[in-house]
Amino acid sequence: MPGVTEMSLDNMFCSRCREGFVPHEKIVNSNGELWHPQCFVCAQCFRPFPDGIFYEFEGYKYCEHDFHVLFAPCCEKCGEFVIGRVIKAMNANWHPGCFRCEECNGELADAGFIKCQGRALCHTCNARVKAGVLGKYICHQCHGVIDDKPLRFRGELYHPYHFNCTACGIELNSDAREVNSRPGYAANEMNELYCLRCHDKMGIPICGACRRPIEERVVTALGKHWHVEHFVCAKCEKPFLGHRHYEKKGLAYCETHYHQLFGNLCFVCNQVISGDVFTALNKAWCVHHFACAFCDQKMNQKTKFFEFDLKPACKKCYDKFPQELKKRMRRMYDLNPKRIPV
Amino acid sequence: MCTIARAMNQAPVSCIPAGKMSKAKKVLDEAREIQNPELDLADKSISTFEEMPGLLNMINVTRLTLSHNKIQAVPPGLANLVNLEILNLFNNHITELPISLSQMPKLRILNVGMNKLDVLPRGFGAFPVLEVLDLTYNNLSEKNLPGNFFMMETLRALYLADNDFEYLPPEIGQLKNLQILVLRENDLIELPKEIGELTRLRELHIQGNRLTVLPPELGNLDLVSNKAVFRMEFNPWVTPIGDQLQVGISHVIDYIRSETYRYVYNRHQSAKGPPPPIENDKSKKISRVR
Repeated sequence: MPGVTEMSLDNMFCSRCREGFVPHEKIVNSNGELWHPQCFVCAQCFRPFPDGIFYEFEGYKYCEHDFHVLFAPCCEKCGEFVIGRVIKAMNANWHPGCFRCEECNGELADAGFIKCQGRALCHTCNARVKAGVLGKYICHQCHGVIDDKPLRFRGELYHPYHFNCTACGIELNSDAREVNSRPGYAANEMNELYCLRCHDKMGIPICGACRRPIEERVVTALGKHWHVEHFVCAKCEKPFLGHRHYEKKGLAYCETHYHQLFGNLCFVCNQVISGDVFTALNKAWCVHHFACAFCDQKMNQKTKFFEFDLKPACKKCYDKFPQELKKRMRRMYDLNPKRIPV
Repeated sequence: MCTIARAMNQAPVSCIPAGKMSKAKKVLDEAREIQNPELDLADKSISTFEEMPGLLNMINVTRLTLSHNKIQAVPPGLANLVNLEILNLFNNHITELPISLSQMPKLRILNVGMNKLDVLPRGFGAFPVLEVLDLTYNNLSEKNLPGNFFMMETLRALYLADNDFEYLPPEIGQLKNLQILVLRENDLIELPKEIGELTRLRELHIQGNRLTVLPPELGNLDLVSNKAVFRMEFNPWVTPIGDQLQVGISHVIDYIRSETYRYVYNRHQSAKGPPPPIENDKSKKISRVR
């Protein structure tokens, strides 16, 4: 180095003691500054630097030990000095490996963190904790809180807008339906999502009671489809499970309640009338129980009968009624002919 | 007479004309042969149960029809027919019924209409499963009903037309299952408010009585639906009821449900005049002929 060769001992002096150098004396040169070897020591302990390693701070040089003691940050977690990369966070210093999420213990140094009630949390845990407090779900995809209704898909909950309809591609909302595209398979990996419109068009029947799709046995009645267990008597709410049902004004009833409510009990046997019903005189009869109330002779649709206190009387019996009674009956009929004798 | 003949160890001597005997007996023999549980013995000129030998041992009988005969007495032994469900004694000359009938375990329908009953036996209301009781055209009134008559909770139809009731006992309200109540052509002066407790009633016949007002409680009942019948003509109704009746039964029901009527009714009850006269002439009733 030409500068060095031109240097003369006259204009050289020690950076520490400001004294000159004696010819042939050893000189320490560090970054262009010169020292007597006895002057090139730690500013704190005045001892040479072990292995020549020193740390410089505000113009002074320190041995490793004293530099740490005086200036190096202490890790908040392990209490050791932090050498190299220091994470300054939460009003403290940390080794990158010591600054971790207080929930999941994941490293936060590169992922970033959120201060949550005095604790450092990763984004995921923060969202979960926040949602837990609010009673909300966390999207399995973006880990954000789901403010509106979540969409359930293959067993997890999501923001509906992360998905599009398998059929028409429209962005989904929470009305979307998950369809088990391979019926019979218990695993849900095959499930796919459809918007409500496309779902309805796919011909998957919707239960008239619960409004959910029917993926197993379908009952079709009253112009609607039903889950087997949801097709029930409108009165007792027991499922028909294949038993006969009776319809009235758009509702289905079991045999017992249909007849209890709509009065098709036989006047003679007081049992539900199975088969054809004979209706007359504000009453109903099993076809084989329709008989004259006075002699018990069976009657049919063609038999002429008389009405007596809304009981059927065959002609033979009516003829046997005493004259005075028939006279009274006639008088009542004449005065009030709106109804009576058939 | 027949039993005496047997007791004397002689050949049985029939005291009944052979022609008559064979008619009823033939039906019984046939029924026994084919195990028919329903016996049709209507209009067979039967005067006594002795004309039907062995009948009381046919315990598989479920229906016995003896209408239009001349039977005067029913033997207590009829209750042996423990499987009997329907007993029809319409149009006979019966003046008294044995109390044993009310013990028949399966009797559901009993028709004793058009007979000469002046009284029902004490304890008659004990029927365990009776559903239809027809006492039409007899000589019954509230004065000769047994004390437990209205204990027949299984009753769904009670026919009392052409009898002599002036008052219907308030215990009628206990017949919770009653769907049909017929009181046509009695001498009823008023109806008890308890009639409003018969919530299943869908047939009420009170025409041809001496009624002037209806208890407002009757408005609790559903007597105007298309499944109900309410007959109330031929009574000396107070003017407002009579006027409503001119336009229709539903108007009567609407009216008796009103506050106005409640006032009219209360005033009528507190200023009770003498009951209207008996209009029905019963002298020609065959139930009166002795």
